[in-house]
Amino acid sequence: MEIRKVNNAGKMTVSISGRVDTTTAPALETELKESFNECEALVIDFTDVEYISSAGLRVLLSAQKVMGKKGGMTLINVSDDIMEIFEVTGFTDILTIE
Amino acid sequence: MIKKFGITIGGLQQKILNLVLVFIIVISGVYLAVSVYQSRVLSATVGEANEEQHQSIEQVSDATMEAVVASSLTRQAAMEAYIANDMFAEVESNVLTLQSFATGLYNNADNFDSHPVSYPDPSMDGTPTAQLQHAEGVDPDNSETLGLIGNMSDVMLAMFKSCDKLDSCFIGTADGLILYVDDRSGSYVDENGEIIKIFDVTHRPWYTGAVEKGDVYFTGIELDTSTGIAGLVCSAPVYKDGELVAVVGADIFLTSIDEYVSRSDEQGAFVCVINDEGKVIFSPKNEGTFSALISSEAKDLRNSENSELAAFVTKSLSEQTGLETITVDGEEYYLTGAPMGTVGWAIVNAVEKQLTRQPTEMMLAQYKDINERSTEKFESGVGKSKQTVFVMTFVILVLATSSALFVANRIVKPVERMTTRMAELSGNDLAFEMEDAYKTGDEIQVLAESFAKLSKRTVMYIEQITKITAEKERIGAELELATRIQAHMLPNIFPAFPERAEFDIFASMSPAKEVGGDFYDFFLIDDDHLGMVMADVSGKGVPAALFMMMSKILVNNFAMMGGSPAKVLEQTNTQICKNNEEEMFVTVWFGVMEISTGKITAANAGHEYPIIKKANGKFELFKDKHGFVVGGMEGMRYKEYEFTLERGGTLFLYTDGVAEATNAKNELFGTERMLEALNSEPEAAPKTLLSNMEKAVDGFVGEAPQFDDLTMLSVKLL
Repeated sequence: MEIRKVNNAGKMTVSISGRVDTTTAPALETELKESFNECEALVIDFTDVEYISSAGLRVLLSAQKVMGKKGGMTLINVSDDIMEIFEVTGFTDILTIE
Repeated sequence: MIKKFGITIGGLQQKILNLVLVFIIVISGVYLAVSVYQSRVLSATVGEANEEQHQSIEQVSDATMEAVVASSLTRQAAMEAYIANDMFAEVESNVLTLQSFATGLYNNADNFDSHPVSYPDPSMDGTPTAQLQHAEGVDPDNSETLGLIGNMSDVMLAMFKSCDKLDSCFIGTADGLILYVDDRSGSYVDENGEIIKIFDVTHRPWYTGAVEKGDVYFTGIELDTSTGIAGLVCSAPVYKDGELVAVVGADIFLTSIDEYVSRSDEQGAFVCVINDEGKVIFSPKNEGTFSALISSEAKDLRNSENSELAAFVTKSLSEQTGLETITVDGEEYYLTGAPMGTVGWAIVNAVEKQLTRQPTEMMLAQYKDINERSTEKFESGVGKSKQTVFVMTFVILVLATSSALFVANRIVKPVERMTTRMAELSGNDLAFEMEDAYKTGDEIQVLAESFAKLSKRTVMYIEQITKITAEKERIGAELELATRIQAHMLPNIFPAFPERAEFDIFASMSPAKEVGGDFYDFFLIDDDHLGMVMADVSGKGVPAALFMMMSKILVNNFAMMGGSPAKVLEQTNTQICKNNEEEMFVTVWFGVMEISTGKITAANAGHEYPIIKKANGKFELFKDKHGFVVGGMEGMRYKEYEFTLERGGTLFLYTDGVAEATNAKNELFGTERMLEALNSEPEAAPKTLLSNMEKAVDGFVGEAPQFDDLTMLSVKLL
């Protein structure tokens, strides 16, 4: 898994590529926690995400909880496979997906 | 590395040895080269010096010898001439006295009486006696002078006695008488007692010579008529009134001169006497130019073909010559000559030049001998020094080799010991400790100290690792225990409800690596209601297991309290969210089946779609209504839905570990393959279905590692 971050005037875009699973999720959690202090709004680009496990979902849930109280968190470019996971797990109800 | 003769080939010891050997061989080579060069230079120098000294000795010696010879020979000639001349001068003086006396006698004949004379008397032999003789045909009695010359007797006797050089002295008269004094009376008488007649006096050379010369005259060398001894006569004429009346003379045997001259021939040096006619009269030589011959046969050397010799002889007769080098008869001579004024002769001293070279040659020979011996000594010295150099080189080589070996050994020994000690380290014996053998004070000691420190640390680390490993093993054992506890928490005795013939249920959970968060559950709420749970906790490990326990108990409790599935999930969510700092969540599918009718009321909190098979139908995905995961957010509401499982129909529940099993190509197993697996034997009992599914997943995954649990539950209405 690789993570790239671009901060544009308080709006942070985090691009993730690869698998987000039990082994890689802690790294994503660390990156996102750092970003909380640096931005008002968070955009997560899911273009290159191949798979997300429940551990990854947990990280997204935590981020959503924090950013929900600030400028919000948006997921963009979510593929059909990933979208299906979000739907099955009910994450579509709590996440803002564009 | 191979060991030979206690030396490790290619080892440090050998390298040190090599270094020392190379060093010594180079030094020895230089030493040898210098020695050889020096001895050569020295030899050349000695040779040159020899040659120079040889020449120098030759020159100096020649010059010295010549000077010595010149000086001594010249003086000797002069001395000899003087001495010989003195002898002649004395005789001359005696003859002059006789002449004077006889002249007085004849001129004053009247004043003298007649003095008796007698013939030789053999009885008087040995006593000096005056005796008369005359030639045949002369009558003494008729002579007027007989009585007169008798007066000479006493004078002549006195003279004969006083001068030992005289052999005789005499007076010969013009009328043929001779009165003489000597001590050999016996020799004038023959065996018959007759007086031996003599030749006419006036024809004797001394008589005619003196008369001719008119003054003192010396005859040539003549053999004495009676004795055969070489001698000469000095004579002088006596005149009366201008008329010759007699000749007086003295006879000297040249025995002393002859002997002297004869004896003089020693070692190439000799003396010879040359008379006023340039003829050699005395000489020790019997042949060649310097031999003395009878007067008539002798050559006048003043006219010699050898012009140098002729000039020298001529000069010698008139004055003292210097040293001259003249070749005579093919031999080189140093010659000096000096005149004897009285007789007009010359005495010549000759030395073969070769002779004077003898000392030089002897010296040179001796010098050469010394030189050769010293050269020999020098060469043997050089040889010895070469030998010494070789021996020294050898000794140095041996010493250096052994000391290099010794030193190298001292260096290598601790290293070897260290190596051996290191090789021995194993098992519980891991401590490399400092020993006295390593305390060399150099890098080896530093190395040994480093090893000792390293060893100490290694032992420490090993102890730590042992401790950590023990700890890990303990944790592992505990986790293993936890996994087993977790597994035992789930209903795992099948058939689960042997008394119930209406349905068949089977479930399984195979954890991927360690304790996981998946769980299934089923329980009878009452006789007609069967509760079924399929859940998946986010994350893995002990936290997930603990979370799972809590979730299982909560769902079970709320279900047993009789709540609807949606209500049970909502209550569970509320309870979990109260203390969920870790923000963990769990996806749950919970359904309650009315066994008698097959009606199932269910709620899905973010879990996978259930798979359902109708009687005589195929397994199909049932896309139910989804709610959010349990524990994610407080106050979540869940929707319920109902469906009916026909008799012969089967419900299949699973976790994402099944659908998301991954193969080596990173492909997901997926729902399509799940359905395929199930539909391969759709009418099979739940246990077989699960077994088929497991085989399919294993076949798909192959060797790739599985991260997620494989948890399945299937219920079939009979």
